[in-house]
Amino acid sequence: MRKTVGYRMMGWLWLLLGVFGATRVLAEGAPPLNIVAANYPLAYFAERLGGQQVKVSFPVPAGEDPAYWQPDARTIAAMQKADLIALNGADFEKWISRVTLPQSKRIDTSAVFKPRYIVVKDAVTHSHGPEGMHSHAGTASTTWLDFRQAIQQAEALAQAIIRNRTGLKSVVETNLVGLIADLHALDGDMRQFATQLGGKPLLASHPVYQYLARGYGLNLESVHWEPEEMPPPEEWKTLRDKLKSRPARLMLWEAEPSPAIKRQLTALRIQPVVFQTCANRPPSGDFMDAMRGNVQSLIAAARPPSANKPLKKG
Amino acid sequence: MHHDIYLAWRYLYHHRVRSLILVICLSLMGAMPLGVHEVMNQGKRAMLDRALQTPLIAGRVGSGVDLTLNALYFNNPNAPRTTMAEVDRIESTGWALALPIYSRYSAQGFPLIGVTLDYLEYRRLAVTQGEMMTTLGECVLGAEVAAALGLEPGATLMTTPGNLFDLAGMYPLKLHVTGVLGKQNSPDDGAIFVDLKTAWIIEGLGHGHEAAAKSVVKDPTKSGNTQMMDAGLVTYTEITPENLESFHFHGDPATYPISAVIAVPNDHRAEVLLRGRYLNYEKDAQLVAPLSICENLLDNIFRIRELFDGVLGLVGLSTLLALSLVFSLSLRMRRGEMRTLFLLGSSRFTMFRLVIAESLMLALSSLCLGGVLIWMARHWLSGVMLRWVLA
Repeated sequence: MRKTVGYRMMGWLWLLLGVFGATRVLAEGAPPLNIVAANYPLAYFAERLGGQQVKVSFPVPAGEDPAYWQPDARTIAAMQKADLIALNGADFEKWISRVTLPQSKRIDTSAVFKPRYIVVKDAVTHSHGPEGMHSHAGTASTTWLDFRQAIQQAEALAQAIIRNRTGLKSVVETNLVGLIADLHALDGDMRQFATQLGGKPLLASHPVYQYLARGYGLNLESVHWEPEEMPPPEEWKTLRDKLKSRPARLMLWEAEPSPAIKRQLTALRIQPVVFQTCANRPPSGDFMDAMRGNVQSLIAAARPPSANKPLKKG
Repeated sequence: MHHDIYLAWRYLYHHRVRSLILVICLSLMGAMPLGVHEVMNQGKRAMLDRALQTPLIAGRVGSGVDLTLNALYFNNPNAPRTTMAEVDRIESTGWALALPIYSRYSAQGFPLIGVTLDYLEYRRLAVTQGEMMTTLGECVLGAEVAAALGLEPGATLMTTPGNLFDLAGMYPLKLHVTGVLGKQNSPDDGAIFVDLKTAWIIEGLGHGHEAAAKSVVKDPTKSGNTQMMDAGLVTYTEITPENLESFHFHGDPATYPISAVIAVPNDHRAEVLLRGRYLNYEKDAQLVAPLSICENLLDNIFRIRELFDGVLGLVGLSTLLALSLVFSLSLRMRRGEMRTLFLLGSSRFTMFRLVIAESLMLALSSLCLGGVLIWMARHWLSGVMLRWVLA
């Protein structure tokens, strides 16, 4: 009897040791995949795709435009240690040619549609925010605003994660289906807006909506205005002249324009609509919330005042 | 037996010069062939080890030996160059990791190698002092370079201009040392590593504008907008945090030059597919297996070993005959001494034992000296053979 109790106790001890060991092996054997993202959409995609299995870093400080950000030596050293560096491509990361990063860990998520990059010519040099003087010449880089391109970028990122960590294949593939469904819904809503608009001219406060315009066939023209800076009178005059040939009634803004600008726009019968690019993390909510908000604002603004058709849910 | 050894030792000590000559002759006779074999084997092993760690090398079509030696030992900076398109070509297959190498330039007598960080990771080259390079204009030193130049992280060094007679050419680049790599006992220890893009800046494919812009002044002797550089224009390029953002590249990156691409296939199937592709479709490029190239090269070079062996055999035989003659003559000269011993009561067997003890002591001493000579050859001459092969 005593012998049997002894054997049982030994058995329990081995079982406990086994469970403890297995837990340790599992915990130590699969540390989360360390991903560094160059912009917020990619950081969001990586978080959605990998869930708890990935650790996503987005090193650009809040309020700074990632397209004109320059990483410091410490950030570059951290990137060198990452398992995967998710890049937007399309000349978004202007710092990439000046830093030393492992080639094999870099994934250019827009490489698949590289032949379709939009090249911007005759851009104006201007300044706003902490990044100083800059121009939008070169390649248009807000590729994710065409949601079909965003799907391609998410797919490229998913493949890179799976290549890097084959054990995450099923998790990433499952999550990719959900992400694609959400992006498809946004794409559908944007198409609804484009149909609703029927080719009427649109204005944008900044030249960052090139892919949005091309993707959804929008007749869009940009100026170089900032939400907090009142444009000089000559720019208002240029706008008034432009409105004679292009009677636009909606103007896309990256952020809420100042009340003074709003008043002047209203006087010109132009309605400002905030459409965040989300290159950096939005102040509240996530990428999908911000994009749904963007699209719903557009649809609501384009609807005739008499119409009371309910909004399609994203 | 104890007495035999004592008497033998006293005899050899008494005739110490003759004994020493005999020991040197015998030890050299044994150590020479063994030492030469050892040095050759060490050189061969060192070459093959490096080749074994490098599955495939892609480069411009031409001499496979030049391509291999350039990619493995950085010893032929003027070897035909290929372009980054070769890297894209390999990466696009998804069958292999592509590690580009650009070994055209040098700094203070050491090869300056442009690589991506993947190369350092693949060769297990970790920084043991300082930090890894992070931006353009920075470098990490191989252990031997750091020791030879006495440089530490924080120091600077100038690149050597490509051509002294190219007066309109690029200024040398002032490199900032960020770290020193751990010793690997490989050619990497004797190299300076920079980012591939830094090498292209030395090439003139990328540049900044700030240094020149600061030194532009109006030419007082000429009217209009004629401008000239003032005397304060620095005669070297330095990339600093202040001017880093002004550096940029021109042209299509796919056309930028590199010396070779190390291809590390994912598996055996990928290797076969990649080799097949180069064999069938790529007419302007070649893909070589460094191991077979090095083996063929060494087989050709080390044919000289057979000649060595023959010569050493003949020399050894003649030395042995000469030594036998010396020994028999010495025994004849010692006839009186032997007779005295016989008269003192020693048996013929005792005298035989004495001669055997002397011979054994000579042989043992020769063996020890020969061992020391082989050890010295192994430690000090193995690098010489590798350098001789690569020269």
